[in-house]
Amino acid sequence: MGFLSPWFLAGALAVGVPLYLHLLRRHTTDPHPFSSLMFFEKRTQSSVRHRRLRYLVLLSLRMALLLLLALAFASPYINRPATGASGDKLLLLAIDNSFSMRAGSRLEDAKREAMSVLEARNPAQRAQVLALGSQVHVLTQPVLEASTLRSAVQGIEPGDSRGNFAELARAVRGITESVRTPIELHFFSDMQKADMPASFEEMSLPANVTLVLHPAVKTDVPNWTVESVNAPGQVWDPKKARVEAVIAGYGTADATRTVSLVVNGKAIATQSVQVPANGRATVEFQSLDVPYGFSRCEIRIDAADTFPADDSYLFAVQRTDPQRVLFVHEAADLRSPTYFGDALAAAAESAFQLNTVSVGQAGNTPLAPYSFVVLSDVASLPSSLESDLMRYVRAGGSVLIAAGTSSARASRVPVIGNRIIEPHDYSLDGARFLTVSDADASHPSIGDSARWAGVKFYYAVAVDPADSRVIARLSDETPLLLEKKIGEGRALLLASGLDNLTNDFPLHPIFVPFVEQTARYLSGTERRSGSRLVDSLLELRTAKEQAVSVEVVDPAGRRPLSLEEATSAESYQLTQAGFYQLRLANGRQDVIGVNADRRESDLAIIPDDVLALWTGGARAQPEQASTPDSAKPAEQKSPYSLWWYAMLLVLAAAVAESVLASRYLGMRRDES
Amino acid sequence: MQRFLDPSVLGAISGLDLVAKTVVDGFVAGLHRSPDFGFSQEFAEYRAYTPGDDLRHVDWNVYARTERAYLKRYRGETNSLLTVLLDASNSMNYSSHSVNKMDYARFTAASLFYLAIQNQRDAAGLIVFDDEVRNYIRPSTRQGQLHRLLSGLEMAQPRARTDFGKPLHHFQEFLRRRGMVVIISDFYESPAKIIRTIEPLRFHGNEVVLFHVLDPKEIRPDLKESAVLLDLETDERMEVTPEYTRNEYRGKIDAHLETLRDLARGAGMDYHLLITDQPLDDALREYLTIRQGRN
Repeated sequence: MGFLSPWFLAGALAVGVPLYLHLLRRHTTDPHPFSSLMFFEKRTQSSVRHRRLRYLVLLSLRMALLLLLALAFASPYINRPATGASGDKLLLLAIDNSFSMRAGSRLEDAKREAMSVLEARNPAQRAQVLALGSQVHVLTQPVLEASTLRSAVQGIEPGDSRGNFAELARAVRGITESVRTPIELHFFSDMQKADMPASFEEMSLPANVTLVLHPAVKTDVPNWTVESVNAPGQVWDPKKARVEAVIAGYGTADATRTVSLVVNGKAIATQSVQVPANGRATVEFQSLDVPYGFSRCEIRIDAADTFPADDSYLFAVQRTDPQRVLFVHEAADLRSPTYFGDALAAAAESAFQLNTVSVGQAGNTPLAPYSFVVLSDVASLPSSLESDLMRYVRAGGSVLIAAGTSSARASRVPVIGNRIIEPHDYSLDGARFLTVSDADASHPSIGDSARWAGVKFYYAVAVDPADSRVIARLSDETPLLLEKKIGEGRALLLASGLDNLTNDFPLHPIFVPFVEQTARYLSGTERRSGSRLVDSLLELRTAKEQAVSVEVVDPAGRRPLSLEEATSAESYQLTQAGFYQLRLANGRQDVIGVNADRRESDLAIIPDDVLALWTGGARAQPEQASTPDSAKPAEQKSPYSLWWYAMLLVLAAAVAESVLASRYLGMRRDES
Repeated sequence: MQRFLDPSVLGAISGLDLVAKTVVDGFVAGLHRSPDFGFSQEFAEYRAYTPGDDLRHVDWNVYARTERAYLKRYRGETNSLLTVLLDASNSMNYSSHSVNKMDYARFTAASLFYLAIQNQRDAAGLIVFDDEVRNYIRPSTRQGQLHRLLSGLEMAQPRARTDFGKPLHHFQEFLRRRGMVVIISDFYESPAKIIRTIEPLRFHGNEVVLFHVLDPKEIRPDLKESAVLLDLETDERMEVTPEYTRNEYRGKIDAHLETLRDLARGAGMDYHLLITDQPLDDALREYLTIRQGRN
């Protein structure tokens, strides 16, 4: 027996109070008048004895009340066998079907082991089967039927998720709260070190759970894998596309590996790479010759190991013609198209073709073929062009407006209509230039806001933001970058020029990413990506794309979304490795390659001492657990709180004390 | 009507005269419905007229029918002498409820006086005593006698202790005419001594009645725990236990009552136990019974 809060036992000293009141304090008795005592005899001794006896009962009750109260607050507990307390012990079988269990025959071995534990089970013992990937899947409820349990175990398929032992502990904690009986947990896994959470505490199990581990392997196994691939999602010039792959070896010796670039099932390039022992090497393919449309690409190595599932890395590439961009500038301004065009062309994945025209030439230009339009420091637009632009934007087009010195002559910004307050020529002020003080990094055009810090702005046009969203501000709070939604389209306003005169923005490294990301954002191609990881979430629609049906086809060719989900789901979790085919809410088709988390490729197992710690030291050794006999774990003690019993005794003592004391006081009143 | 005789009701009435009237009127009204008891104006017999008899008592209806003069005789017509000896010792002050023994004794005595004087035309007197004779009102039928007696009762305040020996010596001097002697006391004395002291009164031809007034808790004390008791007469303190009062005390008080009753009856006296929570009619009934017997 122990106490959780032993310092409350100091409250037992309060028993001195009734002790003083009953025994040490002198009792005074008022005499009761009576007619005559001629028929009475002195019985003093018996009287006093009787009084003391009754007082002692009351005193004992009061002392017991205080002692029990102190005892209850000290939270007493006893250790009792966690498993022996109830005959109804739940047999819980958890089978790891994470990606690493595809290595060798690990999953089959684990299922065979689980079947043997089921065979050795007492038929009267309830059992439940779980499968563990990144989440725990409850395959059965606690049942007695052996056939149900066997079919649940046999039905477990290898998964592509990353294992998470913390999820298992969390699920078991949830089960203990609902089952409330001791649990004997048998865990069948490859005990992969990479599946452990950052904190060991997250793996801790409740006291009434006995963990028996069944490791599928006992030693580390060397493994090769394609750890990552960096490839464009969209290609318009195959000669400019680059594919970079990282080849990693876990527990491997120094070796040369052959790496192949496979497009639509056909190897189009092969390279050899020297990988150091237990290290990494990078392979770069200089071109990606893919046909128009979506291509299913793959980087594959000749690993010749026991885990072939991670020897390839999938990604999808779409080859299109470059999208056209119309750049409208003043005839005298030749610097802006140069800087903007060079930046757009410099982007590695750029798929844009820039058409530059002066304001005068742009009057009759049809806008529909252009993915977006750039107005670079235009003093005034022909009315026909402005009305065309307004229609173009309202219909879903986009425009980037740079407001330089020429724009300041107008009273309002073309297309978006915001009022121009005044031009700020900082080069004339003492400060000479201003920098960006506040930038919204969540906007695709901004990217890394820290990289904007060194850009000097000598000139900016102060524009009334009105109902526009301010994305970046200068240090004097002048809005630098604004966005305004117009109809179905959007317009971005840069309150400075692109000409390297009103600022030095084009000379800074941030300019190229800004142009590229802005171009992707305005053209609507920013969501495309060639590869994802299993268990990542795929955004299916934006907030304004509700009630538009989407379509997802998984690697097995099935459509996992129900009709209701297809019209309402905002995201979808990618659960399998392979190529997913998508039709998104905006009508665009997409193909993405989904790969298992490569941390699963590190097949290093958890050290024995850590496993022993997890199972509770001497409770069950993993080596012993590998045999069916080990299904009987060592008896475990668990604390059992006696708080309620102490409080019940307090209540009983309080009631008895009240009854006795009220009787005593009642008698005193009667006699008085 | 019984409620008029309830001591707790009487205790709320101020003035012994009103108490006595209430008790006796209620008692008499009860008697009128009873077939067992007559009253003083009830016809008893005819007696032949002799010269000197009061002509008002001649039954002229009989004379008209028989031409003989007969006197109509009524019961209780003869005058009696009632003397009440009231114990005013301190023990009479005890009470476990609203009426203490002294009040009860006063009510009893006042009712007897009222009944005797107002209804029976008897002479009534009062002797108040404790260990001495405290007050003496000579029996008389004079005008204002009832008022004097009731005043004597009002003034009788309990004090000292009971001692029958000394005052009884004087009683015999006061009680020269034969009559009825009513002794109202709680008789906390040895029964033999009490009877021995009172017995001489009987020898003079008096009808002696002992009204033993006790509180119900004196007969059946109800102690729930040990307590210190204070003797009202001697100031003696004694710690007693509930067990003692439940067993030995009850035996002793019962034996005392029985002995006193037996000895009193053996000595030709009437003995009545009056409990202070019981109606007063027992005392009045006893008085009338004895008086009828005397006629």
